[in-house]
Amino acid sequence: MKLCIACGMPMTKPADYPLGDESKDYCIYCARPDGSMQSYPEKLEGTTDFLIRTQGLDRQAAHAAAIRTLAQLPAWQGIQKTMDTPSGN
Amino acid sequence: MKKTAREMQKEQTKELLLKTAYEVFSKKGIMNTRVSDIAQAAGVSHGTIFVHFRSLEAMIEEVVALYGQKIAMRTHVLAQSSGSLSDLLRAHLGGIMEFEQFYTRLVIENRLLPPGARDSWISIQSAVSFHFSLVYEREFGHNDRSGIPLHMLFNMWMGLVHYYLQNGNLFAPEGNVIGRYQDILIDSYLKLLKGGRAEK
Repeated sequence: MKLCIACGMPMTKPADYPLGDESKDYCIYCARPDGSMQSYPEKLEGTTDFLIRTQGLDRQAAHAAAIRTLAQLPAWQGIQKTMDTPSGN
Repeated sequence: MKKTAREMQKEQTKELLLKTAYEVFSKKGIMNTRVSDIAQAAGVSHGTIFVHFRSLEAMIEEVVALYGQKIAMRTHVLAQSSGSLSDLLRAHLGGIMEFEQFYTRLVIENRLLPPGARDSWISIQSAVSFHFSLVYEREFGHNDRSGIPLHMLFNMWMGLVHYYLQNGNLFAPEGNVIGRYQDILIDSYLKLLKGGRAEK
């Protein structure tokens, strides 16, 4: 089972991929309109907004959760090494 | 690199420990469980646990991450063939049902768990909220007369389901809360959403 390297979503059909391209390692939700993968700041903001929009989380809590979640994913390994990783409570 | 017999044995033991911990956590609760409970259930020595996990906390995080992934994946797979919101709610409950006892422990104990486990919890709910939002946009997007924000609708559903799970001893003492209540939970929630009209 192929998982998106940027968000972890399972990719099982062409519609899951950017521009239907099943050779990609990332999913349509982590892609820009031109099919390239979003940058870390773009993905971080997108994930934060997703948590707020679909689950109503507090912005700060959503941002912290997004950082911790993305840190687990292959696309974003090492990206937090120069930044503090906030802890949850 | 090909694995040695020793490495394969180590992996198998670790898998056994994770599965055993899952079963013990489901029955006893997560924070109530001691290392010795898991060692005894798995038929290994206390020390064997610490060969594979640096602490009980680390073990909890790994079990919750592993089974959290399974729950999220199950919901995702079932949700793929969801057309209506009704289908999606059923897919959500289907994803939980297979792991009901353990999931109920997560519902009850979430705030007490180690940080990594609490992050897994967010990931499980995110898998559901992702599909919920897609189906909701598709079914109600342009016709939303409720005036209730998406996240509030999602949290109302989560609150309802979790309330029944948390109080499973009162709603289904024999166990299997979801099996028993899924139809009425889905039906009632949708009726409320559609303002009391019959489900289409």
